[in-house]
Amino acid sequence: MRIVCPFCGERELGEFTYLGDAKPRRPAADAGEEAVYDYVYLRDNIAGPMSEHWYHGGGCRAWLKVTRNTLTHEISAVVPAAGAGAAKVDA
Amino acid sequence: MAEFSWDIRSPLDRTLVTGPYGARGEAGLSLTEIRNFDLVQAMARRGKAAEMAAAAKARFGVAAPETPKAVGNADATLIWSGPDQFFVLSKGGRHGIEALASVFAGSASLSDQSHARALISVSGQRVRAMLAKLSSIDLHPDVFAVGSAAATSMDHTSVTLWRGGDRGGQAVFNLLVFSTFAESLWHTILDSAAEYGVTIGHSEELA
Amino acid sequence: MKYSIFSLARAALSGHKNWQRTWRDASPKDRYDVVIIGGGGHGLATAWFLASEFGIRNVAVLEKGWIGSGNAGRNTTIIRSNYGLPGNTGFYELSMKLWERMEQDLNYNSMVSQRGVINLYHSDAQRDAYARRGNTMRINGIDAELLDLAAVRKMMPFLNFDNARFPVQGGLLQRRGGTARHDAVVWGYAHAASALGVDIIQNCEVTGFTRDTNGKVTGVDTSRGRIGAGKVGMAVAGFSSRVAAMAGLRLPIESHVLQAFVSEAIKPLLPNVMTFGAGHFYVSQSDKGGLVFGGDIDGYNSYAQRGNLPVMEDVCEGGMALIPMIGRVRLLRQWGGIMDMSMDGTPIIDKSPVEGLYLNAGWCYGGFKATPGSGLVFAHLIARDEAHKEAARFRLDRFQRGAMIDEKGQGAQPNLH
Repeated sequence: MRIVCPFCGERELGEFTYLGDAKPRRPAADAGEEAVYDYVYLRDNIAGPMSEHWYHGGGCRAWLKVTRNTLTHEISAVVPAAGAGAAKVDA
Repeated sequence: MAEFSWDIRSPLDRTLVTGPYGARGEAGLSLTEIRNFDLVQAMARRGKAAEMAAAAKARFGVAAPETPKAVGNADATLIWSGPDQFFVLSKGGRHGIEALASVFAGSASLSDQSHARALISVSGQRVRAMLAKLSSIDLHPDVFAVGSAAATSMDHTSVTLWRGGDRGGQAVFNLLVFSTFAESLWHTILDSAAEYGVTIGHSEELA
Repeated sequence: MKYSIFSLARAALSGHKNWQRTWRDASPKDRYDVVIIGGGGHGLATAWFLASEFGIRNVAVLEKGWIGSGNAGRNTTIIRSNYGLPGNTGFYELSMKLWERMEQDLNYNSMVSQRGVINLYHSDAQRDAYARRGNTMRINGIDAELLDLAAVRKMMPFLNFDNARFPVQGGLLQRRGGTARHDAVVWGYAHAASALGVDIIQNCEVTGFTRDTNGKVTGVDTSRGRIGAGKVGMAVAGFSSRVAAMAGLRLPIESHVLQAFVSEAIKPLLPNVMTFGAGHFYVSQSDKGGLVFGGDIDGYNSYAQRGNLPVMEDVCEGGMALIPMIGRVRLLRQWGGIMDMSMDGTPIIDKSPVEGLYLNAGWCYGGFKATPGSGLVFAHLIARDEAHKEAARFRLDRFQRGAMIDEKGQGAQPNLH
């Protein structure tokens, strides 16, 4: 598996660290216990293309959003995650 | 109160032994630690990347690198280190943190890395063969020309790598590495380079 | 048939041509009292315990491939009961006791080898942690010995004691730990369960659940047709989320890939199973002579049953730091299995929120050693509708109640367990 970092180009997997599914959103402070439980503990555990967060810690130290198929490890898209760099802010 | 002064030493001071190392005969590599440099990291503040770039251009006469490149003028090299950030490498305090503070005021956050990094310069006939053992970056001259740079890892250690101007017809590769990892990476480099024969030295001159 | 010296002699007289099949490859009936999804070690063990301990013999085990083709055939065959937290300690010891009598119970040679498991320590803090874990084990009646440097040197003089970045200082030894032959465990349970009437049905992939108007599970749809069931248990670690999703459930589980490795065969070298305490590397030597070893999971979600090179490099670096003399041994094979990584690193054996569906999931990379214990407690749960006392803490709702069993203390980040 290699990841094409949008800032650095194609790099070997060893330079990256995995966070996981990019879909869960931290619930609002008053959302209640059930929503927090869901956010912290439950997973879709997708078999197929999944949007996920990777960190290029062994390179440019940017957070990336990678679309990767968990059945084949095929990567179809890599974009900067929200907040990567100063100019490329995306929600 | 007793007089106190810092004893400034290179992080490789204990480890670096000048002279030949490894295979005898004509050395395939030279390995030089550059000492006593000024290194400032500039990181654009949120939404201020364009202002930072303009400030850099006004100060250095060249645009700050927006892609993995090293660019420079006579007395400073600007090395890309990540999105909207770069290093300023220079000597003699002309572009040290104090000199640059007003230049980037409001557009970038600066941090002085002069004593936080070691700078290692490698060149010679076998330099690409040696680096191939440590790095997954393609360093072929067609791909990694003079001025190319990469934020990458060698032997699990984060490094900033760039290709300087050729010296004596040979490619020169420069490595910035965290001071505390410098000794470890130095040993790994020596292990990798030993079979080619190495000339080890240190210098005060930026490559 | 019963295996014995007499059956061996009898078969020898006829040139070994008249051996009966080890187990019966069944076709699905319309209905069973219990259907177990998953023909790995855990599923087959559950079926055998249902038949032998709880008198429920109208049981089918459904396997989408061939039995033992999942993680039962993809592990490093280690058995041990050296856990430190309440909930785990007793359960894994129950499992260890069942390993010790497995071959008699099943009339099958599972090649259980109690050659000892030693966890090496490399610092004072790690020694203290191991001492504490060893004391916990001994208080619970489990064997544990804290070895000092001299004792480890005597046992394994070939380790890199002094020159490594993390010098070996000693180890925590469980002599009753060791290895078992993973395939023979699967075949042994299949042999014994089949003999008691359990139907083992291969190439039978579950594609959905059938439910009555109250939502209770009444059976499964499969690639070989609809099969009715009084109760359905799932033991499909690696794919638990997929199967549970068919019943509308989301689980506190992520699927991750774990690699394992075997070297070419070398002369007998390693006397035991050992783990490197300063990196993630564990190794034993198979009876054929290969070094069987592994390390961390790759760290990203995967159902691909294959891993990537950085972890391979990391594991081999760990091996070289600990045993430099194996540097020239060639790697023969490498493979990957899909782990059910739970949110606290501990399994889930519980009723699901769907009536009639029972969960056996979340084994992380510790499932093999748990095989017999898992079979017993899961059979108990299915047969009696209440948890076995040694599995009472493996509840699905423990995350909501704050009753996690987190041996590593990593929190809800499954790739760190």
